Amino acid sequence: MSDPVDLREFVSAFVTEAAEHLEVANSKLLLIESAARGGQPMLRHVRDVFRALHTIKGLAAMVGVESIVTISHRMEAILRTADQASTALSLDTIDALLEGTRAIEVRVKQLADGLPVGEPPASLVLRLDTLDAEPEAATRAITRATRLDPAIAQKLSAAEHEHLATASAAGQRAYRADFFPSPARAEQGFSINRVRERVSAIGELVKVLPLSVPATEHAPGGLAFVILVVTSALPAQLAAAVGIDADAVIALDAEVKPEVAAESDAVEDELIVNEPARRGIVRVDVSRLDEAMDRLSSLVVSRFRLSREAVRLAERGVDVRTLQTLLAEHSRQLRDLRAAILKVRMVPIAEVLDRVPMIVRSLRRSTGKSVRLEIDGGHTELDKAVAERLFPAIVHLVRNAVDHAIETPDERARRGKPEEGLVRVTCTEHSNARLVLSVSDDGRGIDRETVARRAEVEVPATDAELLDLLCRPGLSTRDEVSTVSGRGMGLDIIRRVAVEQLGGELAVSSVWRVGTTFTMTVPLTVSIVDAFTFECAGQRFVVPVAIVDEIVEVDEGVATRLAGSKGNVRVFFRRGESIPLLPLEEVLGLGVERVGARKAIVVRRAGEPIAFAVDRMLGQQEVVVRPLEDPLVQVPGITGATDLGDGQPTLVVDLVALGGVVRMVRGAAA
Amino acid sequence: MSTLYVVLEVADAAYILPASEVRELETFAGATPVPAAAAFVAGVVHIRGRVVPVVDLRRRFGLPAVERTLETRVVVTEVGDRLVGLVADRARELVRPAAEITPPPRVIAEQTLGFVKGIVELDKRIYLLLDLDRIIGEEQDHGERDLHLDDGGPRRRALPR
Repeated sequence: MSDPVDLREFVSAFVTEAAEHLEVANSKLLLIESAARGGQPMLRHVRDVFRALHTIKGLAAMVGVESIVTISHRMEAILRTADQASTALSLDTIDALLEGTRAIEVRVKQLADGLPVGEPPASLVLRLDTLDAEPEAATRAITRATRLDPAIAQKLSAAEHEHLATASAAGQRAYRADFFPSPARAEQGFSINRVRERVSAIGELVKVLPLSVPATEHAPGGLAFVILVVTSALPAQLAAAVGIDADAVIALDAEVKPEVAAESDAVEDELIVNEPARRGIVRVDVSRLDEAMDRLSSLVVSRFRLSREAVRLAERGVDVRTLQTLLAEHSRQLRDLRAAILKVRMVPIAEVLDRVPMIVRSLRRSTGKSVRLEIDGGHTELDKAVAERLFPAIVHLVRNAVDHAIETPDERARRGKPEEGLVRVTCTEHSNARLVLSVSDDGRGIDRETVARRAEVEVPATDAELLDLLCRPGLSTRDEVSTVSGRGMGLDIIRRVAVEQLGGELAVSSVWRVGTTFTMTVPLTVSIVDAFTFECAGQRFVVPVAIVDEIVEVDEGVATRLAGSKGNVRVFFRRGESIPLLPLEEVLGLGVERVGARKAIVVRRAGEPIAFAVDRMLGQQEVVVRPLEDPLVQVPGITGATDLGDGQPTLVVDLVALGGVVRMVRGAAA
Repeated sequence: MSTLYVVLEVADAAYILPASEVRELETFAGATPVPAAAAFVAGVVHIRGRVVPVVDLRRRFGLPAVERTLETRVVVTEVGDRLVGLVADRARELVRPAAEITPPPRVIAEQTLGFVKGIVELDKRIYLLLDLDRIIGEEQDHGERDLHLDDGGPRRRALPR
């Protein structure tokens, strides 16, 4: 692990990608598990899991996480054997494989958190090794010699040796190609990072080892990277990827034995052919999209300035009809662009719900209840930020359903219900860009009387009253109430997520002894920002923290009033810099100006500071910004509204944009 | 088959909107004013998690303002994707006029600033059918709307003088 190359950029990509493949592996394993109960082998899914693990292994090798390579390699071996033999995986094997994915998950998480990545659990490795039904094949392959320098060979893990040695069994070959970094090569686009990428594109990067070599003209840095790769590409292709001569590529394994190849080629070919086309997919950090959105806001401001200019032209009697048409067109294009950016942030709801089966599986084990899960996610897409907030609420509801609502098999039998309980998660898209997500169970239902008695109130008459009662924070922490009444805990938290964080609704309908359904209705998109709340002219506002340079105390009596200014523009000095100060209430047209000690929020617009005087700062908190979608209230400087908990919208002001409007007006007045 | 209408009372007149365009009736607890929005926009309110603009019909019709009462209602209309509230003095009835709604005589159309597109009588009372698109409409697109700022348009108050 003494690789001197900066791996950080790979790590974050690895974490995201590995998480995706793990999700695939987990969900497919669960499908296999339920099919296995019926004795079906589900070979197609076995291959999907194989492919996912295969990819994870390759990626892990790229970032040099040995323990993940070791685990995934063993899991892969089991799956390959099962696939070749067309046998169903035993429940025990599936369980071991799920243990494996969990172990990988843990290690991916460690890597993501910058913690040292743990060794593979010995018990797991042993379990997987024992399960591999055909250990002979692997042994046979391992014993085949690889033509590697002992110095290099000793730096490889057993899994890597095996990977290289078994390449031929997979119809591929193992090669060694040495890359000598130099400024000249870097100029031609051959840096070690680019080489890694290129090699990974044509084969599996098993290992990249840095090696000290005598400094020569060929290796001016005295450094070489030994690249070990398994690929079906030709040596010449590999050489091109590394930027070396084809004869410098060394084949490591023995020639492919025809009969071995014939037997496994078919399988691997199919695996490769079936590899779903992932081309054209780009992973993007959400913050980059936010940045694009910010850029768009400034574009909106300059369009506003353009229209002002058009007005001035019109006032001078210039014919601006064509210009007006263009401006109208431009404004439509801006709206389309905004919609396009928002669309990029959308993820399928199915991706969110993919993780639910895992949760139910572990609940099944911990509660000993028999539960069937039905998911109907549909094809709705929702904003990443909404998905992230929604997921914990879904987990909570599902957990409550299994933990508290579904009865034990005995109890269910006594009540004449099927022993297996049912939890359904359904998701539909409502009109007006809203998502309706419901979690229902056929469990014991909520006992209104017990709930009411415990809360010392009257029995709720309607479902809405019942929900209010259930969401009382004091009530929801009493576990025994939960178990008896079958309603679970933490509903106040779920309601807070649905209503306050996402601007949606939570509803319940429950029939005693028949079942309960919780329904969340939330918007498909939402944006969340860290914001300062403040008061100005008796009205509360919020401003995103990100655009605030600083908040200062100013005495308007002290700040110099500018001669000739039409409004009440003042100026004050701070750290040798003069800052114009505008009363926000005047900028927003809110009424009379106040004089005296006030707070000023300083923002920067194109590097220049501008301060807005406000009455007082109230605090800082994360708020959900709902856009002011309606054309009636789309105005410059107001980006949206939020609910601070009083049910009334509080406006979000973009002071930077307002600064632009102000400057523009000054310009127009000059 | 005659259509069902919601009755909105503003000053002494009874206006109607097809019930199919009305999503709900809410009591009016005040709106958050939006600086720089048109003067007839009372502000925004939260309705089912959405931020919905509220049009003050009195201001829209150029009538004097009155104190809000317990009877003041926000009639939440739904047009396509838009939800827009209309503040009426009262809104508590539904009617199903038997007679056909006819276009208003030109004088009435002009007097009502083009906000009335039909007229009908039922039980000796006159009902005026509102042209919702005009009331909540953007007569122009954004680019042009901005241009009206300097024509002494209602949004002007937002800008520093």
